[in-house]
Amino acid sequence: MPPCSLDKASSDVPGTKQVQNNEHQLSSPKESQRVTRITLNRPIGLFFQGYKGFQAHLESLAQSRQTFYSSRVRVYVTGVGAVSSLGLGKSEFGAALARGQVAAAPVEHFDTSDLEREVACEVKGFSPEDHLTAQERARMGRCSQMAVAAARFAVSDAGLDQNDKLAGARTSVVIGTTMGEANLLGSLDRTWIHEGASAVERARIPRYGTTLLPIHVARAFGARGLVSTLPAACAAGNYAIGFARDLIASGHADRVICGASEVIEKLQYAGFVRLGAMAKDLCRPFDRDREGLLVGEGAGMLVLESERAVVEREATPLAEVLGYGLACDAYHITRPHPEGTGSKRALVDAIFRSGLSPKDVDFVNAHGTATPANDVVEAAVLEAVFGLDAENKVSPLVTSLKGMIGHCMGAASALEAVSCVLTLNDGIIPPTVNHAHTDDACSKLRLVQNKAKQADVKVLLNNSLAFGGYDAAVCFSKPDVAPPPSDRPGASSQPAPGIDL
Amino acid sequence: MSPFGVGTACWESSLSTGADLNFEDTSADGVRAARPIDWDAKAELGKKGHRSLDPLTKYLIAAAKHAIAAAKLKNDDELVINKSRMGVASATAYGSLDAIAELNRVAELEAPRYINPQRFPNTVINAAAGYVSIWEGLEGPNTTVVDGNCGALDAVLVASTHLGTGRVDAMLVGGGEVASDPLCHALSRLGQSAVAKSEGDGTWHLGEGAAYLVVESPEHAQSRGQEVIASIVGYGTSFDPPSHEGLLHASARAVQEAIENALASAGVSAADIDLLVPAESAVGPFAKAEADALSTLQIGARRLHLRKHIGETFGASGVFGMSAAIAEGTQNTLALVITIGFYGNASAVLLQT
Repeated sequence: MPPCSLDKASSDVPGTKQVQNNEHQLSSPKESQRVTRITLNRPIGLFFQGYKGFQAHLESLAQSRQTFYSSRVRVYVTGVGAVSSLGLGKSEFGAALARGQVAAAPVEHFDTSDLEREVACEVKGFSPEDHLTAQERARMGRCSQMAVAAARFAVSDAGLDQNDKLAGARTSVVIGTTMGEANLLGSLDRTWIHEGASAVERARIPRYGTTLLPIHVARAFGARGLVSTLPAACAAGNYAIGFARDLIASGHADRVICGASEVIEKLQYAGFVRLGAMAKDLCRPFDRDREGLLVGEGAGMLVLESERAVVEREATPLAEVLGYGLACDAYHITRPHPEGTGSKRALVDAIFRSGLSPKDVDFVNAHGTATPANDVVEAAVLEAVFGLDAENKVSPLVTSLKGMIGHCMGAASALEAVSCVLTLNDGIIPPTVNHAHTDDACSKLRLVQNKAKQADVKVLLNNSLAFGGYDAAVCFSKPDVAPPPSDRPGASSQPAPGIDL
Repeated sequence: MSPFGVGTACWESSLSTGADLNFEDTSADGVRAARPIDWDAKAELGKKGHRSLDPLTKYLIAAAKHAIAAAKLKNDDELVINKSRMGVASATAYGSLDAIAELNRVAELEAPRYINPQRFPNTVINAAAGYVSIWEGLEGPNTTVVDGNCGALDAVLVASTHLGTGRVDAMLVGGGEVASDPLCHALSRLGQSAVAKSEGDGTWHLGEGAAYLVVESPEHAQSRGQEVIASIVGYGTSFDPPSHEGLLHASARAVQEAIENALASAGVSAADIDLLVPAESAVGPFAKAEADALSTLQIGARRLHLRKHIGETFGASGVFGMSAAIAEGTQNTLALVITIGFYGNASAVLLQT
């Protein structure tokens, strides 16, 4: 089957080896290439007792019994990379998060004197010449430079930098962002505005295209499959990771480099100030005295591989990408729905499509922007989905990284996904910093406050909300702890009548 | 919302008669543009609620309204299917340039503190598609695709993935593009030398507008008694990393492989193609790359020279191509729509009418 086609037949040929403890390994070509028709023959419904929304999902699934082709193969994370305000590469990034380090500092990239705000979480330790050739630097804006550098970290982490396995049509690249090469565009605009169009340097114009983010990454590794940019604002990382997962699960690709990249530009900074969403000094997620967000920047990248690709090269997966959920509030362009209807559906769908129940989720990396609206809505959503009670017996631990690295907009959920993968591997949940007094409306959350927590996290959710009413949540787990793909539901997220999701 | 005007009737009649468009001068030298004839935002969107929206958003919302109405998905302004199971996959290449330039102008010539917060969301690329969901009450996944000229065809893959994984029952697939001032000036600055000599005077001709197709599974369409007007039967894409250090890359290999992948996914051969909607880029090397690929594959089907009709529509070219194939195709026509990106990628979709 050709790469990136509509053919629903899997390209996976029979695996040559069995994944350890992997009872679902495909056993024959015929079986591997068959479109799986889900039947509810396992007592998965037992997982969902007590939550009417999940029961409704199950009932609607049982009624629909749709063909569902993304259930055939596990999709693993085999490498992660970060370019962040707290360091480069997963080790620096992870160690700084574990320390609860705060990147907030006065903005150096542009003048903020007019804006009554002066703090952001800029990436200050990134030297493009350390990661890119002179020719690459010459053809890229800073957003692409960070994307390629983060991708190189991820590819190296995956052990794919010493071979040519990423070259060719079976590797795709999917990158999310909010505004892409915003610095470059701002510079072009300023020249145009002050000096006229004839003063704009001709050679710089083609470097702007938002489509270039995955193109540059694909060029770096010789990838020849789909090259796609999904601008999904502050949920863009999760969008890219989810779509990348589907590309592999449906047989369109064996490997996908995915994630997101974002730079801080004065226009965005001013825009958030004008929306009244920017804090003065610190970002304090879920705190009673929170004032809003601080913008951040960076790039987070993951290498996803099919089960067969991992087995063939005897790689050690870091994590598994289970289900993911997408929804749109269709309510307001910047504000979340007050009842979080879309976010609930996204989270429920992510869990549901993973073949799990809420009680299986050990940890939630919250969106946690520290805006008044987001944190209250998100806390209510988590309470509804996880049925939080006063004793918090079964609810997951929750944290928001945004007190440390700010809100990296499109790159936020990608960098947070990198952190999630690290948590699954080292058992360290980074803290929600700058936290003094939990908002009453968020009091049921089991927040990891100010100091990192060691925990045996097997399953976690990465949650995100975004401009446009976007809601996206991705479920990750340690490799092979979730039900085999053939046993996961997911044909339908249709709520039954009367269900309040 | 095509340069021919509002709605599908004028689209179909203008295509069939080969109507010539009036490409008007823009503020940029060497760039002309055709905007939707008789476009009236108030007539399409009502009198209120859209003053702060940018032109692309208005086109997208209007196109969505027409597509939803044509597919009989609303009754008395209420969706007849579950609103959480209808999504949007929308492409644009340069959609937010205008809004960004507008606010940058305010920030530079006045002060950043005067930026209008109501217009700030327009600078976010996916906001335009987000407004479509808000206006039409679509709570399924909303995805914006920015794959240069290939965006609208790549949006087909997004939609088919969401349909195939049971996330949605129906999707709006398409996108839009606006011949904005910053885009026109950028193209002007890039120079007439970039435009194919076949264009005569070397002038860029841009088309402006938006279009959506309603895509759903055959079973779903059948279950609600809706006529199917075309089937998407194949999709393919390819990226050819350039061996040179430059940015722009016209690749016959990428076009050929995209077509071959689409043909393979549909289980048909090049000889089966009845109608071809090529990209026919205005930029010489890209037109040649496509021509070379078509020659190699010996695709001799009847060609619809859409780009020369409506101008260059960049990220929306794929959906206009699919719409043209549907309008022009007679019963059982297998149509191939091609888009070619400026940086080495190409995508193709096969439609069966």
